[in-house]
Amino acid sequence: MPVFEELRALVVEDNMHMRRLLRQLLGALGIKETYEAGDGSEAFEILRVRQPDLVLADLTMQPMNGIQFTRQVRLSEASPNPYVPIIMVTGHTERQKVEAARDAGVTEFLAKPVTVGNLFLRIAEIVERPRPYVRCVDYFGPDRRRHNDENYHGPWRRHTDAQNDLELR
Amino acid sequence: MSSKKRPPVPLPGKSVSVQPGAYPVFTSTVAMALLRALRDPLVAAEAGQVIAENTDQFRSEVLTYIDRVEAAARAEDFDGIYEHAHEIRGLAGNAGLAATARIANGLCRYLDALTRAERKPEGNVVALHLDAISRAAHAEDEATRLGDAVANELAQLVDKKLAEINGLESR
Repeated sequence: MPVFEELRALVVEDNMHMRRLLRQLLGALGIKETYEAGDGSEAFEILRVRQPDLVLADLTMQPMNGIQFTRQVRLSEASPNPYVPIIMVTGHTERQKVEAARDAGVTEFLAKPVTVGNLFLRIAEIVERPRPYVRCVDYFGPDRRRHNDENYHGPWRRHTDAQNDLELR
Repeated sequence: MSSKKRPPVPLPGKSVSVQPGAYPVFTSTVAMALLRALRDPLVAAEAGQVIAENTDQFRSEVLTYIDRVEAAARAEDFDGIYEHAHEIRGLAGNAGLAATARIANGLCRYLDALTRAERKPEGNVVALHLDAISRAAHAEDEATRLGDAVANELAQLVDKKLAEINGLESR
């Protein structure tokens, strides 16, 4: 089995059993150095000190939830790595919650229940297809447009959209 | 010319795109090794074993949250009911309790929609879900067609209730 000495992961989850399961799954993958936090504020401190390469974070936690944590990682001047991939592991299926997490700068979503296939797929997605990061007035994080939809008719917010606009005229 | 009228294109510099490679990612050596591991059937088997070994622990955890959600219901603490039902839907799948997870998810959807609509949940809808969650999680063989049938019936009930809420909001 592989061992990635140079890879560090952080699992942020308030449920001890889910936290342990995720750490063990990363261990099976060969990531042996995994830190654990019970909420976003504890996780941010670990992020500053340990600088993990990958974060798995729950959405609902107290006092700082996964959305607030992600926003802090992406936007805070104290953040050591605003580009760190964040996989949000969540049982939430409500559209508003998922959109809020996406708009905070989450890289990938992993719906509970956690399965080997789904977890590995999300990690592979991060490794194989890292997305551009976009900074605008109210957002910094992975590009939220995943597809080039020919039927997309706006809104057009980016300066690069000027070229798209000209090509279509 | 495009048939759709587009809003003005923002000024250059309003958004900035940073391409992969310009920010810290996995080194190519690590990325390749990681991809190999992610596709290795032996690694997947070991990870699958990890999930299987944790099932009983998750089942016990689900039963703990069922006690909590029932206590919250007796206290008519709807925030508490949502909080514990959310934990149940997140844990039940990894406990091998798929029907329990679906029923808990339906209850969460219902409570979430009512909270956003600033309306009080109907006691009988909550009670039906809690009863079904408890019965399913305690069943010897939860993954039966009966469990699925109950989950489907309750999902239809939630859809109907959500349609009623949406109808009221759009008036």
